[in-house]
Amino acid sequence: MRAHFVFACLSLVIASAPSLTAAVVKNYELSGPAPGSIRFRWIYGSVAAALNRDPRVQVQGYNEDSFILRENICVNFEAPFMYLLLGNERALLIDTGATANPQYFPLRTTVDAVLKRWCTARGVADIPLTVVLSSAENDIQNLGYSQFVGRPNTTLAPLTLDGTKTFYGLAASWPNENGKIDLGGRVVTVIPTPGTHKDGLTFYDPYNDFLHTGDLFFPGRVMIANERDFIASVAKLKAFAQANPVKWIMGGKVEMSTTAGVDYIRRKTYRPNERVLQLEPAVLADLQDYASKIVGHSQAIVRTDYILLNGVGPGTRTFTRPADLPPAPPAAGGGGVR
Amino acid sequence: MKSISFGSLITTLLCLVVTAHGAGKTIEFPTKVAAPGTFPKKWIHGSESLLDNKDPVVQVHWYNEHTVMMRENKAYADGANFFFLYFGNEKAFLLDQGSITQHDISPVRELIDGLIEEWCKRNGKDDVELIVANTHLHGDHYSAWNQFQDRPNTKLVGLTHEERLAFFGMTNFPEQRVEYDLGGRKLILWGSPGHDDAEMATYDTYTHLLCTGDMLYWGLITIRGFAEKWAPSIERLVKFTDEYPVSCLINCHIEMSMQNVDYPRSTSYQPDEPPMQIEVETLRKLNAFVKTIKNPRDGEVYYFDKIWLYNQKGGWETVEKNKFVY
Repeated sequence: MRAHFVFACLSLVIASAPSLTAAVVKNYELSGPAPGSIRFRWIYGSVAAALNRDPRVQVQGYNEDSFILRENICVNFEAPFMYLLLGNERALLIDTGATANPQYFPLRTTVDAVLKRWCTARGVADIPLTVVLSSAENDIQNLGYSQFVGRPNTTLAPLTLDGTKTFYGLAASWPNENGKIDLGGRVVTVIPTPGTHKDGLTFYDPYNDFLHTGDLFFPGRVMIANERDFIASVAKLKAFAQANPVKWIMGGKVEMSTTAGVDYIRRKTYRPNERVLQLEPAVLADLQDYASKIVGHSQAIVRTDYILLNGVGPGTRTFTRPADLPPAPPAAGGGGVR
Repeated sequence: MKSISFGSLITTLLCLVVTAHGAGKTIEFPTKVAAPGTFPKKWIHGSESLLDNKDPVVQVHWYNEHTVMMRENKAYADGANFFFLYFGNEKAFLLDQGSITQHDISPVRELIDGLIEEWCKRNGKDDVELIVANTHLHGDHYSAWNQFQDRPNTKLVGLTHEERLAFFGMTNFPEQRVEYDLGGRKLILWGSPGHDDAEMATYDTYTHLLCTGDMLYWGLITIRGFAEKWAPSIERLVKFTDEYPVSCLINCHIEMSMQNVDYPRSTSYQPDEPPMQIEVETLRKLNAFVKTIKNPRDGEVYYFDKIWLYNQKGGWETVEKNKFVY
């Protein structure tokens, strides 16, 4: 670890050394995950949503080239996460949130402002932006997309399955081969992972060593849309995580609380005890195990960090807890009881 | 004004004296014909972005000059509960207090104080005693109850079934009907379990409005004890409408659209809501429908019009489908 840190510091020194006029070129090749942290608590809504005054788009700088964005829960209860990654030549926005109206959810202006500051620091006039989706059909991640239509110097991934395949050069090989997006020294792998969406994609960033799994896997209610594809995609990610360094799985939502196996009820806009966003890659083994058990059954399976739903709707609640989890503490009375 | 007689001047002065004394003129609450009233064209119904909602915390609507209906804002409390205030010569009867405990967010106490003050002023009274009652004992209906603990001239009915029975003098729940007199305006209450064991139906002899609380409204009725509790309660409501004139049924939530599609629990924006009130005819048809359900199964949902019967199903469950299945 110390070697990584020295190496990272060295690259920072190199980054700040050149004259003001020359663009900084950074080396994204590290022998371990890039240093980075989630220092701040995610905003978690309010008792009264109308009184919420948190930012509409929360931005956490994970490191100087990686930003995690979250839509305010009181603008849309899904409160999706989006990721903005930068390389020497290109910026990549993964996912666009659950709200189209820029007055409610100013994603475009937020991304523009972050990129502008980044460009100033890097000594470049502008950087091309590519906007991609973890699932083109997923309407909790594709609604902010319209804000980027017509943006200069911007490439938008298509909104159809066929378009998606072609865009990543996977028309003939989908879902067996991976695509790539080169950000300039930082090459993101695009892994087809259908299962919760027919057009599902996972993005692997070898700089932070993150798997951006979107709606396929996250600390919440994972809703299987096709059993065979889901099983195959989970197996594929598990194998990928064994063959490549993965620090964390960074999905598109958080719905679990800090109590093992207890989730926040759908549509609640106040979630003061949310579980953290990041998942350890080891949980993929547990996911694979329980995914195989749920095949052929319409049910919900509760695990510590996620809930698997198969053949049932998103509002399904389950009251059975697996024997290996401690009993859930009783919930407080009051407004929640109905 | 010029030709004002001495006699009428005396009468006016006398009236002023009486008014100043605080008893006011005794208001008649005739029962033969339903006192007219109006519902709002549209209740507040949330917004696409809750953060951007500019509606009041509680919408206040005077159904008529002696009856208030209130609805909570979805951007403050997702259940958007309705609650009610009935005025009589001696008492004001607050049926439910809404789902927000925090006084700073929803000052229900001040809201009710203001309404009582307004009504008293209009009717030449100093004050009326406030009765704080509840349709049933679920949190979204009594969350602001504590705001009334230190209010003068106030009685709190209680938040246990036993205290409620004792307060109204019910010894044979749920069949027994009891009268509660607000001073010339009588309410009739009886048991209406099936959603909550302690639920009571409340009929107002003045407006002929029958409040069915949470056991019947346009939405997802969470039923606990279909055959033994809820269905007999529906039957009891029907029987009441056979014996008494009922203008319509009022209740505590709306969870349906005009297209007979549900707004799943806690939906933030419900632009296509039906009116809150339900016609007696619908109750009768519902009762006939309920009779066709011979062996209600646990976890089953029975669909009737805009009333969906959630039998032994989690209150927070929804019937949404996974639209991405392929």
